Amino acid sequence: MTEYKPNDYKSAVKPSWCPGCGDYSVLNALMGAMADLNLNPADTTIVSGIGCSSRFPFFTSTYGFHSIHGRALPVAIGLKSANPKINVITVGGDGDGFSIGGNHFIHASRKNPNITYIVMDNEIYALTKGQNSPTSHEIVTKVSPYMSVEERVNPVMMALSFNTSFVARGFSGDVVQLKDLITQAISHRGFSFVHVLSPCMQYNDKITYDSVKEKIRPVPENHNLSDRIAGMQLVLEVGTYYTGVIYKQERPTLGDKLNEVKAKSQANLPVDFSVRDIVKQFS
Amino acid sequence: MNELIVRIAGTAGQGVISSGDIFSLAAARSGYYVTTYRSFPSEIRGEGQCAFQLRISQEKTYTVGHFSDVLVAFNQKAVDVNVKHLKSGGILLVDSDEVGELSGESFMEIIKYYVPITTIAKDVASVKAKNMVSIGLIAGLISQIPMKEQFKNDIRRRYAKYSEEIIDSNIKAFEAGYEYASSKLERHDNLNNISMSKSGEKLIMSGNEAIALGALVAGCRFYSGYPITPATEIMEWLARELPKVGGVMLQCEDEIASVTAAIGASYGGTKAMTATSGPGFSLMSEAIGLATMSEIPLVVVDVQRGGPSTGLPTKSEQSDLNMAIYGTHGEGPKIVLAPMDVQDCFIQTINAFNYAEQYQVPVILLSDAAVGQRRECVDLINFDSLKIVNRLKHDRTKDAGLYVRYRNTKSGISPIATPGDEGGAYVATGLEHTELCNPTSDPEIRKMMVEKRFRKLETATHEFISAKKYGPDDAKIGIISWGSTTGAVLEAVDMAKDSGYKIQALYPRTLYPLPQEWLQDFLADKEIVIVVEHNYTAQLLHTLVYRCNSINKDIKFFEILKYDGSILSAREVYDRIDKIIRQQSLRYTFSNDTTEHQYKF
Ligand SMILES: Cc1ncc(C[n+]2csc(CCOP(=O)(O)OP(=O)(O)O)c2C)c(N)n1
Ligand code: SF4
Ligand SMILES: [Mg+2]
Repeated sequence: MTEYKPNDYKSAVKPSWCPGCGDYSVLNALMGAMADLNLNPADTTIVSGIGCSSRFPFFTSTYGFHSIHGRALPVAIGLKSANPKINVITVGGDGDGFSIGGNHFIHASRKNPNITYIVMDNEIYALTKGQNSPTSHEIVTKVSPYMSVEERVNPVMMALSFNTSFVARGFSGDVVQLKDLITQAISHRGFSFVHVLSPCMQYNDKITYDSVKEKIRPVPENHNLSDRIAGMQLVLEVGTYYTGVIYKQERPTLGDKLNEVKAKSQANLPVDFSVRDIVKQFS
Repeated sequence: MNELIVRIAGTAGQGVISSGDIFSLAAARSGYYVTTYRSFPSEIRGEGQCAFQLRISQEKTYTVGHFSDVLVAFNQKAVDVNVKHLKSGGILLVDSDEVGELSGESFMEIIKYYVPITTIAKDVASVKAKNMVSIGLIAGLISQIPMKEQFKNDIRRRYAKYSEEIIDSNIKAFEAGYEYASSKLERHDNLNNISMSKSGEKLIMSGNEAIALGALVAGCRFYSGYPITPATEIMEWLARELPKVGGVMLQCEDEIASVTAAIGASYGGTKAMTATSGPGFSLMSEAIGLATMSEIPLVVVDVQRGGPSTGLPTKSEQSDLNMAIYGTHGEGPKIVLAPMDVQDCFIQTINAFNYAEQYQVPVILLSDAAVGQRRECVDLINFDSLKIVNRLKHDRTKDAGLYVRYRNTKSGISPIATPGDEGGAYVATGLEHTELCNPTSDPEIRKMMVEKRFRKLETATHEFISAKKYGPDDAKIGIISWGSTTGAVLEAVDMAKDSGYKIQALYPRTLYPLPQEWLQDFLADKEIVIVVEHNYTAQLLHTLVYRCNSINKDIKFFEILKYDGSILSAREVYDRIDKIIRQQSLRYTFSNDTTEHQYKF
């Protein structure tokens, strides 16, 4: 059996990100995690939407689907449901995942497909050169030249309220922890969400490596991972970003349920049942 | 007479549709051709009127016919609304518990039977069984066509999931109606003259079912959708049947998720489809472009209804053609097909999958409420002669070098790898890309890739794009239709022939790409060309005029358009053709229903 090294997941394409962009760390962490799990690149697909962060699939040697803005999750769910043996990892930005694609996040959580979703949150629309995103703090941008008029969403709180079955938060400034979180997320059976605080060098000085470093703290050792309310309390604490796994619940996946549906539908069918038999209902 | 047209009408909730269903199934299973039409109000159980018309015949018919031989009306409103659909000399059978003596001009030429349908139903079962009494009555009136036992079988089948008691009372109600017609109705009608020989075993299904079945037969194993009238039956049927053959049906949060999930599944190597109607189709636009750009096979069914916006949810229209052809932003290949009847729903769905796989493009199948909701006979499926196409796979044993996903081939078609294939990893993307999938805006590569994608359509044009003709080649009058209006047009051409008009019909098998050569050939000797569509803006006509600009000839174009939610019957089409021919000397006519536009090529 081949043993994959992190660099085996690197493609020939040099990442187009700005020097210092937080997304490099996520790429390195994911390549490390895939190596730790020894995922065959041919059996792995990275699906993304549109944004700086969504350029991700071009930089890995796995299969990739760089889809359209906000729609990475349904593409990934379709792929996983039709082809369950593929390891599906979905990546994207805060605008992609919580604004235009926000609705899909709710329903992916409800479906609980066995896929991983990593969001690189730079609290800005970076690819379009710096407009307010749903996670932006009060910032002055070209579309909010006087002030921001909307409040922020808290992505981890969203995930907890949707009962996403695995919820973690990491930071681009800590690749070691991030690799561990992504490894756990991919290993989790179900829909695993990793929220990554990932600074942008160009368009948002409200989130920098230093400013985040000041606010992060590891999830307390005694935190009960199956206690959703306790997770919410951590997440709602003002002024602190807890990093680590926040919530985890084992429950049947979408794939399990689809298999159950198949088994139920086939329960009384003869072994050689085929489409030809289905036609009989029309005669 | 070797056909019979029956119309049943009442208030929604009175069992009009279920009696029509039972009637048509029994007739088809007895070996006759059946075509049906149902109209029902949007409200599930409001005060709205609904009607079911069926045409039983010895030979295949394309429409449900115009005037009925028998009209059963459950109440006065049903009489008022539907009596105009009755033939002169036809039979009006009313529930005398609900409807009083009918007099007046519209009732002069018809035969009226007053039957206490409600009382009979109450006596043997309950008020609810009125519809069974009425089909019993009709079965009794046409007792020379042996269908009685089949009727009872189909009543049992219909109510199989209910208690024995309910099934029995429905059968009793049917028998009571049959008995009443045989013994009490003093017959002075023409129904005894009907004789039909059977035409062999057939299937009977609705257009939506035919699309769902066609998908299954074509190898579709993934469906994702969001409920919407009048397309939902496709999703419901596949939810039940797909898992039996190992497939997946996913209900999604909206149509954007539905279409992108189907694209994801197809990228993963599984034939995938989604179906919707206008509002959902609008939402899918961006993603259809993604399938075009990333060259992923995809089938999207639009069961058209009246638009725009929420429009007429339960009524049929052909107004999404422009959107299907031109709808997505940017330019890229896709294929648009439209089925003309239920049989064709099955055939065109298989075509849709075959073309999607062959050319790695999205294929849009434009059905509509009229054909989607009606039941018709369909030929038995000969599985051995069916052609099923699968995408050209990347074969590493033949091509061991670096895999070039979007290789610029002669046909435009490049071998496709599937996740899981060793040595096939590539990135599907909606961004313009190089042959190796890397994003690019290099003008040379951009030009090459646009041309590569469109070349697939040129290849397709040679391989399958066609049209069908009906009627004499030397006709000077041509008539062009697409999708579900074609049935009425073909029957109208026959009616015109009986009146001495020489007319030739043409209907394209693909709407995009349009079969230009066929059209030009067809138009070559025509002096008058009439286009028939269920829309206001004559969408096909405009596409046609735009596409066939090489015709250097004065042709007078006329439009027969209908956009009131009801569907054109062959009789209506014929009447309007007749009028056009008579008015032909006028240069420019504007009347309510027939507009002449002069197009100079
Ligand atoms: C339907 C649609 N609307 C708008 C855009 C333009 N657009 C591209 S990326 C983007 C926002 C990206 O922000 P985010 O998802 O946070 O990614 P980032 O670039 O910050 O990594 C927008 C608005 C688009 N591509 N598609
Ligand atoms: S603009 Fe910001 S998010 Fe985009 S690549 Fe540069 S640093 Fe990264
Ligand atoms: Mg962002």
